[in-house]
Amino acid sequence: MKIEVLYPELCNLYGDLANAEYLARSCGAELVRTGLHDAPRFLTEDVALVYMGGTTERGQSLVRDAFAPHLEGLVRRTDAGGVTLITGNAMEIFGEYIQNEDGSKEAMLNLFPFHADRHMLSRYNSLYLGKLDDMDIVGFKSQFGHSYGLNGDGLFRTVRGAGLNPDVKAEGIRRDNLMLTYLLGPLVVLNPPFAKYLLSLMGVAEPVLAFEEAAMDVYTHRLAQFSEPERGFIYH
Amino acid sequence: MGKLKFYLALWAAKLSQPALKLTGHNGTNFPGELALRICPDFMRYICKPEHVIAVTGTNGKTTVSNLLCDILEMDGKKVLDNRFGSNISSGISTSLVRGATIFNRSKYHVAVLEVDERSSQRIYPYMKPDLLVVTNLFRDSIMRNAHPQYIADFLTASVPPETKLVVNADDLIAASVAPDNPRVWFGIRKMDTDVTECVNLINDIRICPKCSADLKYEYLRYHHIGKAYCPKCGFRAPDYDVEGRDVDLEHMTMTIGDREGSATYRLLSDGVFNIYNMVTAAALLRQLGMTHEKIAGYMDKTHIVETRYNVEPVGKVELVMQMAKEKNALACSRAFDYVSHQPGQKELFLMMNCLGDEKHWSENVCWLYDCDFEFLAKDDIAHIVATGPRARDYRLRLLLAGVDAERIDCEEDEFAAAKLLRFEPGSRVYMFYGTDSLALAYKVRETVKTLAEEAAK
Repeated sequence: MKIEVLYPELCNLYGDLANAEYLARSCGAELVRTGLHDAPRFLTEDVALVYMGGTTERGQSLVRDAFAPHLEGLVRRTDAGGVTLITGNAMEIFGEYIQNEDGSKEAMLNLFPFHADRHMLSRYNSLYLGKLDDMDIVGFKSQFGHSYGLNGDGLFRTVRGAGLNPDVKAEGIRRDNLMLTYLLGPLVVLNPPFAKYLLSLMGVAEPVLAFEEAAMDVYTHRLAQFSEPERGFIYH
Repeated sequence: MGKLKFYLALWAAKLSQPALKLTGHNGTNFPGELALRICPDFMRYICKPEHVIAVTGTNGKTTVSNLLCDILEMDGKKVLDNRFGSNISSGISTSLVRGATIFNRSKYHVAVLEVDERSSQRIYPYMKPDLLVVTNLFRDSIMRNAHPQYIADFLTASVPPETKLVVNADDLIAASVAPDNPRVWFGIRKMDTDVTECVNLINDIRICPKCSADLKYEYLRYHHIGKAYCPKCGFRAPDYDVEGRDVDLEHMTMTIGDREGSATYRLLSDGVFNIYNMVTAAALLRQLGMTHEKIAGYMDKTHIVETRYNVEPVGKVELVMQMAKEKNALACSRAFDYVSHQPGQKELFLMMNCLGDEKHWSENVCWLYDCDFEFLAKDDIAHIVATGPRARDYRLRLLLAGVDAERIDCEEDEFAAAKLLRFEPGSRVYMFYGTDSLALAYKVRETVKTLAEEAAK
């Protein structure tokens, strides 16, 4: 079994790479890393999960250019049930465009009909509490903008915090097993139920996580904390 | 109207200083805050010393600023600093209020001001430094600083075009700041401990800034700090104008030199970060015309600020206070790397929690997964106590880093956690704390000292 990390030289902000590493460690999968100048392995090999983490604003443009020739391959993979997780601002690469505060627009891959607004002097930082089916999801957001234009259910249903933008409850995007979310950092490590869910989608029967007891202890504590009504959610 | 407002602001701020002193509140930013509230462009009008030096960057700016102040004072200069205030606009304004007479004349020859990178847009339009030191740019607070290229772009947008930069040539992100400004490059030549492949989780410039090919390093110190080159397009890191070389950790010396001369300097610390801080300070002082002999002589009489690193024998152990800034993966990685290479058995007490965040929100822990906890998975690190609000997160991260479960204790309450320390005779106990937990750390230290003395009986 293989887990492929796309463009780790660029898509590596905020501990994101721990997500793929944790899954690989929990199921014994081989972790393969594909650089900017290489073709993704999932195009020609059996890859159980493809992962892409957050990057810089320049990184978004470089990844867009590098991935554009392979977008059709991702669509084929998704249609065939392949599992892909994209976190942080890497999600914005798959929208129509990113609009800067001066009004300029940068075209993106246009896989989904949304655009992101980027405000480089106004960083949005928040905690996040949401649901995936009955599963509680905890996480963090730290981003220069939000996304607009999508009306679907998203990947997660927001309980507290912002969805794709502060006015919607839908957080992230889901098309079959292609999952995109603004949540960043070690999302999978911090959410053992979600980690198990992903492993199940990857075909791991009765998944057991690495250091599951410690991970559940962290998760349970954070979930209780994030559920406190008085707990602030948006950092000022 | 502008000038009138300015004088009102100056006098109000001046009047607030003795009042604050009388009430025991000196050291706050209130005078500067007040001045800026009355006159938002107060910094434009306030008289500055003849030379203004600003020091910015992710790490080392306090140490470099302190070194510069100490040395310039030893050289007979009257130096205005902000070492007892903050490095944001209100703190800088407070210092400038202190440095001016009521008739707006400067009382100092030179200002050495530590400036927060993110505050640069509020400061440099009004206070144009003659020299700006950029120590390095690394990942810092995810919430405030995003990523280092963001900070580099931020600085580029705010540094006045006439300011001369003193920049770390071993840091390609810092090197990208204000590319059109005049500059002096400093760096450290190959050291015995250098490698050519990055062993850290964070390396924020892995591809060539010109052609995006994978970068290579002639030598790599840590993270992205080293001598980079692109095998594809020929891009190379800048050559040094002022360089550290022949670093001798055994004899605690190095040479710092440039085209016009060099001198042997006594190392103030064996940590590479502090060796960089020395070279940085020397590179700046050379721009003021001070000779290497003079700088080396003065530097020999300085020391690194105690709150950052302090060793004290207690009972049968040595207690080390090791600052490792919270929410700063790089600072903690450097501290972990340093401590892991110290000889002898070690016991660690991790309390780098952001207590402020915990009070109102919850600390964003992404940085823990950028930080090289892997350095702590060593046999001579016999025991680690994880404490504070994020104790559980530390425990999980330590386990994932390869630290044996039986070596880890986890207790949220810092004072209760101190009781879990083992105080093996002859070992060193390292307390890791951040700026946010500094006050608490020094209270917990007293408990740790009492326990260490009891354990020695």
